[in-house]
Amino acid sequence: MSDLISILQENLPKIQDENQKASLQNAIQLGVPSMKNEEWKYTYYNKILQQGFKPVLVADQHVNMFKMMGSLTVEKEFIDEYSVSENRIVFVNGVFHSELSSFINHPQINLWNTNNVSENITSDFLLELNNAFASDGIFLEIGDHVVVNDLIEIFYIHTKSSDIIQLKNKIIVGKNSQVKLAEYYINYDEAPAYLNIVTEMQVAENAHTELYKIQDGGKVFNITDNTFVKQDKSSVCTVNTISLTGGITRNILQFDVNGERAETHMNGLYLLENEEHVDNRTLVNHNVANCESNELYKGILGGKSTGVFNGKIVVKQAAQKTNAFQSNRNLLLSNDANIYTKPQLEIFADDVKCSHGATSSQIEDSELFYLQARGIGKEVARGLLVYAFAAEVVENIKNELLRNKLQERIAELLKIEL
Amino acid sequence: MLQIKNLHASISSDSGAKEILKGLSLEVNAGEVHAIMGPNGTGKSTLAAVLTGKEGYDITEGTVEFEGKNLMDLSPEERAQQGLFLAFQYPVEIPGVSNANFLKAAVNEIRKSKGMDNIPPNEFLKLMREKMELVEMSKDFISRFVNHGYSGGEKKRNEIFQMAMLDPKLAILDETDSGLDIDALRIVANGVNKLRTKENAFVVITHYQRLLDYIIPDFVHVMYDGKIVKSGDKDLALELEEKGYDWIKELSNVEI
Ligand SMILES: Nc1ncnc2c1ncn2[C@@H]1O[C@H](COP(=O)(O)OP(=O)(O)OP(=O)(O)O)[C@@H](O)[C@H]1O
Ligand SMILES: [Mg+2]
Repeated sequence: MSDLISILQENLPKIQDENQKASLQNAIQLGVPSMKNEEWKYTYYNKILQQGFKPVLVADQHVNMFKMMGSLTVEKEFIDEYSVSENRIVFVNGVFHSELSSFINHPQINLWNTNNVSENITSDFLLELNNAFASDGIFLEIGDHVVVNDLIEIFYIHTKSSDIIQLKNKIIVGKNSQVKLAEYYINYDEAPAYLNIVTEMQVAENAHTELYKIQDGGKVFNITDNTFVKQDKSSVCTVNTISLTGGITRNILQFDVNGERAETHMNGLYLLENEEHVDNRTLVNHNVANCESNELYKGILGGKSTGVFNGKIVVKQAAQKTNAFQSNRNLLLSNDANIYTKPQLEIFADDVKCSHGATSSQIEDSELFYLQARGIGKEVARGLLVYAFAAEVVENIKNELLRNKLQERIAELLKIEL
Repeated sequence: MLQIKNLHASISSDSGAKEILKGLSLEVNAGEVHAIMGPNGTGKSTLAAVLTGKEGYDITEGTVEFEGKNLMDLSPEERAQQGLFLAFQYPVEIPGVSNANFLKAAVNEIRKSKGMDNIPPNEFLKLMREKMELVEMSKDFISRFVNHGYSGGEKKRNEIFQMAMLDPKLAILDETDSGLDIDALRIVANGVNKLRTKENAFVVITHYQRLLDYIIPDFVHVMYDGKIVKSGDKDLALELEEKGYDWIKELSNVEI
């Protein structure tokens, strides 16, 4: 039996809440994901655990928290590096940090930090683990007819911790409302960190939401992100998943489109080098007619990195006149990098338009030579071409301030000047 | 400025090495304009590729010196940084890279090689505007991706614009006139003429005498089967226009 399972069993008697207890029992039952499981075929979960992470109950965790609280200069620096807004919610090692946070007052926007347990029993180990151990998270409720212009930023900041940091968010966006949220995943030490996070979002009728996930936690930051979105009619939801630096990252992104004329956009970028590993798994359930989904994920893989893309689109029988497009394109910069890409279409309606495509390519010698012939050194030339490949995804980012920040950051990572 | 002596170059293909340049010699001095003409497939673009350092060619014999340095020792970017420029016969499309970012990188890399700081942004913009005017290019092109979706003529014009931006010592123009309409031809030729100085030089590869009415060459060379078989002044171009290449081919057969 794995170490993690025995730790879970030790924790079982300490848990009071019935739902949490049930989740933990279920997690023990399900067992740690193994590569024999089709969904985990290319991601070795134990590789995260082997770095010594353990789940810790909320009560025990706060003790650690106080130990690390000191001057906040480092945290502030990291926040300033990215922040483009005054609406800021900050978690440090899984605990809400009021001193670093600031938030608009609006009668129709309610924010709580919470670790409310979801009552859903799932068949997913990581969700159940999160149910049992989540220490905190946001509960953001935006009323009807509210337009929030400024980006709402959520920072997950980590520093030296062998705890599996677990957060749970719930975001409810009311009818005709508009909101943009950005999540930043940050780890500022050389010491490994691991975040297992679950976000549920409900987008009501005719509401518009943009969600940005900016994963830039350095090469020892591991993330398992689980995001579930429910969309009502005529709503528009865009999720941008930008993985810039990280250890092992797994992003689950799932949509249930439950109202007609809804639009779903998924926009992803992963920029990998060394041994970095990103596994993106998206699922769109088209449950009703006349909806559209659009997906573009682009990956750049250098070193010995690994990218996994699994994009599933399910068009239920009732979902006539669905338009679903999916594209996964990869640029391989080294012979030792690997990409495993798999589109999955399950279509049960007959009057639909669906397309998918996956490509992997290399830098074109003719393009490289053209740049060199203008005096641009090989390294910078490669950087420019990689940047160009990524540009399409970055250009899809509607928020200009954030887009500019990301452009700068990507240029920095590629060692080019713009 | 440029001395090519008995240059032999071959390309490695599936069917083994194939010699394309077969003992080519050419000398270009500062202030001169040379035209190279010759039938399709005789190695004109190959010469340009070898000079600019494209991979895939073996130099089996001969020497090339540029400003007293062995050109073949330098990487393509070093050659460009030393002042060599090629206006490509087939300019490459680079989706995702804007002309502004592309040229800023080029200008700064060239400056860096000379120990200079990056060009100040407003100075760069001013330079762009000025040189765009020279080739009558619309300002939209500043932010458009390099050659991406351009018409044939726009691509050629963009090559000359880049040349103007980088101000090379020696520019090789490989069929820059083909694909240009009559007005564009005049604009591009005028642009070249305005950039001519006593310090720089041009090698103009073309099939048409027409271009040479605008850019008047000091020398015209005829290339056939991998070498220069006849050289003369601008009247040679007129003669070729009139008589075609058959007499040149015979000429080279006699020599062999
Ligand atoms: N990669 C290659 N493999 C084999 N042969 C090649 C390759 N590239 C060029 N060649 C051959 O080399 C010869 C010279 O080509 P080059 O493009 O230099 O001719 P050119 O004089 O520029 O012709 P044009 O006037 O049509 O532009 C041609 O016969 C061409 O087919
Ligand atoms: Mg040619």
